[in-house]
Amino acid sequence: MIRSADKFTMPRRYELISSVIRNNILNGRLPPGFVLLEGPIASLTQSSRAPVQAALRILEQERLVRRFPGRGYLVARDGEAVEPLRRDIRELDLQISGEIDEALQNRGTWEMVYDAVEEAVASCLIFGEFRIIETELGAHLGVSRTVVRDVLSRLHESGLIRKNQSSHWIAGPLTAASVRNLFAIRAILEPAALRIAEPFIDYVEVDRVLRSLEAEGDDLEAEALDLVLMEACIARAPNPELVDAITRNRMPLIAANRALTRLGLPRDRIAMRDHASLFGLLAQKQIVPAAELLGRYLDMMAERSVARLKIVAIVSETSLIAPYLTPTQQN
Amino acid sequence: MLYLSRPMSPRHPQSLASPAVIRPPTLRVLGTSITIIDPIVALAEADLGFKVEYEVLDFISCQRKAALEPGAYDVYDQCFHNLDIVWFWGALQPLDTWRLDKWDEVSDLTKRGRISRHGWQGHGDAPVKKLYVQPGDSLGSDPSRYISMLPTVHNLDSFGYDIGVFGSGNRNRESWAWLLDPRAKGRIALVDEPAIGIFDAALAAEASGAITFRDIGNLDVEEIDALMDLLEEKRQQGYFRAVWRDAEEARRLVLDGRTSVQSMWSPAYWGLGDADRRFVESVPVEGYRAWHGGISLSHHLSGRLLDMAYEYMNWWLSGRPGAVMARQGYYMSVAGTVRHALADDEWAYWYGGEEAIRDLPGPDGEIAVRAGSRRAGGSYWDRANRIAVWNTVMDEHNYAVRAWSRFVARVRADAS
Repeated sequence: MIRSADKFTMPRRYELISSVIRNNILNGRLPPGFVLLEGPIASLTQSSRAPVQAALRILEQERLVRRFPGRGYLVARDGEAVEPLRRDIRELDLQISGEIDEALQNRGTWEMVYDAVEEAVASCLIFGEFRIIETELGAHLGVSRTVVRDVLSRLHESGLIRKNQSSHWIAGPLTAASVRNLFAIRAILEPAALRIAEPFIDYVEVDRVLRSLEAEGDDLEAEALDLVLMEACIARAPNPELVDAITRNRMPLIAANRALTRLGLPRDRIAMRDHASLFGLLAQKQIVPAAELLGRYLDMMAERSVARLKIVAIVSETSLIAPYLTPTQQN
Repeated sequence: MLYLSRPMSPRHPQSLASPAVIRPPTLRVLGTSITIIDPIVALAEADLGFKVEYEVLDFISCQRKAALEPGAYDVYDQCFHNLDIVWFWGALQPLDTWRLDKWDEVSDLTKRGRISRHGWQGHGDAPVKKLYVQPGDSLGSDPSRYISMLPTVHNLDSFGYDIGVFGSGNRNRESWAWLLDPRAKGRIALVDEPAIGIFDAALAAEASGAITFRDIGNLDVEEIDALMDLLEEKRQQGYFRAVWRDAEEARRLVLDGRTSVQSMWSPAYWGLGDADRRFVESVPVEGYRAWHGGISLSHHLSGRLLDMAYEYMNWWLSGRPGAVMARQGYYMSVAGTVRHALADDEWAYWYGGEEAIRDLPGPDGEIAVRAGSRRAGGSYWDRANRIAVWNTVMDEHNYAVRAWSRFVARVRADAS
């Protein structure tokens, strides 16, 4: 079943992908033992890996697929003994309904536009306040006003842009004060979500991360760990409104962090070490202490983020800003 | 406090392990005209057993290069407030105080933030807040063996003004408010470095009663907006003549008779010729804007070059460089060695605040101080006790810099 969770546009991509795989397992075209790999599925459905990962996790929860000591997932029910069958999924004649195929195509175009705009808007926040002019955005990307409006509505929903009193779309500025405020909200919401998520946490994923932390140490990115913390733990909280609020609140911080990293700022090794301790507690299912630790880390991370933001002062924004973003303060 | 990740014990000099050097190594120093002046370059050549190559840039370019190109220099000579940018970009490595000969003699102004218990607690970031390396490589005031920057020169800045406009006999009435005073309309200049000039402007705004800041050393976004709105309003009324970036530019504005009041740095007062009888250094009732310079190590430095860098830093506190700095009005973090390197009457004038009993030389040997004159504000200890605010990279620095740059660009456009 395809849930229409997105009131602005269409079903989420991972739902479309999980639906395709589910249907093909149930109709037997994906045989027991078949090894599902992210890359080929992404290429088949013309999407990035993230929605494929999400789709596979949904199917794992539905017990249609399971992990095994190898890369990818096996098409197999619990306890069912199967031999891994490694073939390219594109060679199978999978059944994809016209409706889903079309949705995937439309979704593809729409998502490419959305991703490009989100990236551009996220990059500008640290440089001040910008106005997004709808006509220029449409002209720049060669898309219709309807698409522009959909994209801007979604950006608004995600917390990256707002409307000012003159009904102009405005992004930024991300200031020290707003960074502290966003982190203060994180420190209230995320530990609370982690506590109620306890029975639903993906401990397999937590263990996997902990093992790779032990193996790779400093080579892991704090941002990647933060994403796992969100997807495997916090976002499992049985309160979709809370998870939505957390996701929205994180958005400008994640965006700014990505922009800072692109500017060549050194990696935040302390955040990496903090996450390692946190995953240690999570793996032992010590959720209450883990939630307390998360709260403390977020407070400290707020101050480090303020320090990182100061550095941006020496970077000139001119070459990095998309043409449809106009500074509200002109020279 | 011991950091295992950074072994730098003096008992195991890393030079023992470094490969044989064929060409005599050269130490590359990146800095500004605050400290790197001809007499210092000559003195380094005479005193040190190795070659030192200097690169002198303006404040903003120097900070940027230090942050982004740590491979292009060995030693970085600028100010404590620059550490908010340069240290946090990961361009520097901690200094081991065990390798600093005079560390114990470094003054409390640096190590504690006040020269005495009676001193004012200046707003903003006193150097001590960025001095010590804390666990996790952040900077703070909890003492530890490793520091971010060797404290060297510092000063208490104010503004200079024309007694023809503001009158003479103003002692105890000179106020930062004069930087926005209608009497000087069209003849006002500010220093163009956001971590410095914005505080001159903020002190002026507060002293004039236009704005009251919650904490003048750490303005929030609304306060920055209010300050920039005020400056913009004054600009549109034609108050500002110019902005300047180094002492030479500041001196030139006075010599050309273009300004009646402006931000000033100590070396800009010498070489004014006859203008120095009408253009005088203020002792603001609100207190000084203080700054503190220092020397740091590029993160790539090791082996013989690291040893040379420590030798260079120890030389800075050995007295002779401090004497050169004193003759352009700057104080050193270790005053004892400077006293021995200066003639008694020089020491009495520059540090003691006493009357010059003869004409005194500047750093280049030319007469800088006429017999009978006295340093504005008195002795070092009198002046250092009255710090209103330190040059600071505040929390909203990124926001402030962008607003400041827009203002400065408009002033420059007006002036051209």
